[in-house]
Amino acid sequence: MRQEIEITGLNKSFGQGASAFHALSDIDLSIGSGEFFTLLGPSGCGKTTLLRIIAGFEEPSTGVLKVNGKDVTGLGPSKRPINTVFQSYALFPHMSVADNIGFGLKMLGKPKSEIKATVAEMLQLVRMEAMADRLPSEISGGQQQRVALARALAPRPRVLLLDEPLSALDLKLRKEMQSELKRLQSETGITFVFVTHDQEEALTMSDRIAVMSAGEILQLGPPEDIYNAPVNRFVADFIGDTNFLTLRVKGIENGEAVLELPGGKQASARLPNSISPPVGARVTAVIRPEQAEPTAAGQGDMQAVVEAATFFGTDTHLHLLLDDAQGFVLRRQNRPDQPAPAPGAKLGLSFAPGALRVLED
Amino acid sequence: MRGHGWKWLLCTPALIVLLLAASGPLLIVAVYSFLSPGNMGGVSWEFTLDAWFRVFFRRDIFEPDLVEWNTAHLQVFWRSIWLSLQTTFICAFLGFPTAWFIATRPRHTRTIWLFLITIPFWTNLLIRTFAIQEMIRNNGTINAVLMWTGVIDSPIQMMFTEFAVLLGMAYVFLPLMVLPLYAAMEKMDFSLVEAGYDLYASRLNVLWHVILPQVKPGFIAGSILVFIPAIGAYVTPRILGGGRTMMLGNLIALQFGQGRNWPLGAALALLMLVVVVGALIFYLRVVGRNDEVRRG
Repeated sequence: MRQEIEITGLNKSFGQGASAFHALSDIDLSIGSGEFFTLLGPSGCGKTTLLRIIAGFEEPSTGVLKVNGKDVTGLGPSKRPINTVFQSYALFPHMSVADNIGFGLKMLGKPKSEIKATVAEMLQLVRMEAMADRLPSEISGGQQQRVALARALAPRPRVLLLDEPLSALDLKLRKEMQSELKRLQSETGITFVFVTHDQEEALTMSDRIAVMSAGEILQLGPPEDIYNAPVNRFVADFIGDTNFLTLRVKGIENGEAVLELPGGKQASARLPNSISPPVGARVTAVIRPEQAEPTAAGQGDMQAVVEAATFFGTDTHLHLLLDDAQGFVLRRQNRPDQPAPAPGAKLGLSFAPGALRVLED
Repeated sequence: MRGHGWKWLLCTPALIVLLLAASGPLLIVAVYSFLSPGNMGGVSWEFTLDAWFRVFFRRDIFEPDLVEWNTAHLQVFWRSIWLSLQTTFICAFLGFPTAWFIATRPRHTRTIWLFLITIPFWTNLLIRTFAIQEMIRNNGTINAVLMWTGVIDSPIQMMFTEFAVLLGMAYVFLPLMVLPLYAAMEKMDFSLVEAGYDLYASRLNVLWHVILPQVKPGFIAGSILVFIPAIGAYVTPRILGGGRTMMLGNLIALQFGQGRNWPLGAALALLMLVVVVGALIFYLRVVGRNDEVRRG
C-alpha cells in the first residue's frame, strides 16, 4: 500500500524549560492511502495535538511530516491537501449551507460553474439537497455534521481529518453517522484520520487503530489485534472490558505459559514473544468477559460464586468471586429459556482455547 | 400570575427619570424653537418660525427681501457629520487590531488590557484635551522634538485645524469602539478562523470572509457609540479646533451664550437630533439589508 502520511521522529512540547509539557514523544507513524485510520485514547493523550499537527494548526517541536511523499512540515494549513472536520463543526454561521460547502473551492479560485456543480454533488453525497439555502443555525446538529463533512470533502483533499466529529450527537444519530462515514470513505477513496476517545467507535469503523496514552503510541494495528492481543495493561483496560487475574506460572510448554488457576486446575495462556517468565513467578493474565463459558458447579476450569448480576438487554454481566477471592466478570448472553443465575448461586467457568493471555506489565 | 400585579411599579423610577430628564427638556426645547429671542437671552412668548428660517436661510442686512442659504450653518452641519464619520472610521481602523490583540491574549491577562483601555475615562475630559493641546501646539512636545532632531525648521501648525479635532475625538472615543469590538471577538469561535485557513483561505480572505462578518455586531455598536457623541462634541472642537473648525455643539452653545438667540439654538439642537436619528435609521437599514440579501 502506498503511504499517504509519513511521520518520523515527531515531538511536541508546549512551554519552555522545566514547566514544558510534552504532548507528543517520538511519534513514528505511516498511514496508507485510502485507509480509515483512528487515533484512540483518553482525553489529554495527545491525539488531538497529533491531528492538529497533521492539519498544520500546530508546528511540531521536532520531526518530519510528509503527505504523499512531500515534506509539508513547515507549511501552513492552507498549503496542505488536507481538510478537517472540526469537533464543533466550525461552520461559518453567516453563510448558507451551500456557501459553506463551496468555500474551499472558492478560496482555491475555482470557476463558479465548477463550484456550483461540486456543491450540488456534495449536497447529494451527504443527502442535504433540500437544505442548500439554510443557515447553519437553521439545521439540526446531525445535519450540521453532514454539512461539515461535505465542506471538508468538497475540495477533494488527499486526507480528511476528523476530530471527534460524532461526540456531540446522541447515540442513535451517532450510529447512523458511523455507517455514513464508512460509506463516504469507501465512495471517495480519501484517507480518513479519525480521532476519538470512544473505543467502540474506533473498533467498528477503523482499518487500523493507534492507541495513545501520555503522548505515545502504545499499540498500532487492526481492531481485531488490538482487541484480542493488547500489548499491555493500559490497552487491555482501555479497549473493551477485561478480567485481570494474578496467577502463578507452573511451566512453559510450546511457547505457552501453563498457569495455576484459583482452585488448583491448570490452563495454558498465550505468551507475548517479548517475555518469558520464570517458573513460579506471578504474572498478570487477561481474559475478556465473553470468552469464558458458565458451566454447572463443580465442572469447568474454575469455581465461582455469583455476587451480583447486571442486566444489559442482550446479555447479563455476572460479577463473580473466584476461589482465591479475585473478582471476575462474565458476560452471558440472555436467553428466555435460561434465566441468569441469582446472587449466591455457584457455577463453574471454562475458557475458550486461546482466550487466556499473559500480559507484559 | 398571582402576585405579579404590582411589578410594573418597578419601572416607575425609570419612567420618572426619562420623563423629567429627557422628554421634558426636549419638549421645552421644541417649544422654544418656535418663540422669539428675549432681549437678555431667554425667550419672549411670541410665536414665530423665524428661528427655523434662520437655521437654513439668511436675509441681507441692507435688503431684507434678498434671501440666501445660510451657508455658515450648513457648513457647520456638514463639518460635524464629516468629522464624525472620519472619527468613526479612524476609531474602527485603530480599534479593530487593538480589540483583536486583547481578545487573543490568555484569559487572565485580558482583564488587565481592558482595564488599561478604560483608564482614560478616569480623568476629566477637559484635562485630557488640554494634554493633547500641550502635545500639538506650536511650541508643544511634538514640534519641539521634531525641531530638536532637525526634521523640520519651523513648527507645524496643528492646533485649530480639523486634524486637531479629529485627533482629539479619535482619542476620546476610541475605547467606545474597542469595547464592543472586543465583546464581539470574545464571543467568536476561533475554530472558525482555523476552518478558514484549513479551507485554503489567505490571511486577507480569513479576515474578510470569516472574522469581519463575525464581529459585525461589534462594529455596528461601536460605530453608533462613537458617531452619536462625536456629532455633538463640544469640548474637543472648542479647545483644539477653535473658531475656525466649529462643530454643531459649539454652534448651539454659542446661540445660548453670546448669541443670545435661544430659539435658534433650540432649532439647531432639534435639527441635530433629527440628523442623528436619521443617520441611525439609515445605517441600520443598510446593515440590515445586507443580511437579507445574503440570505437570498
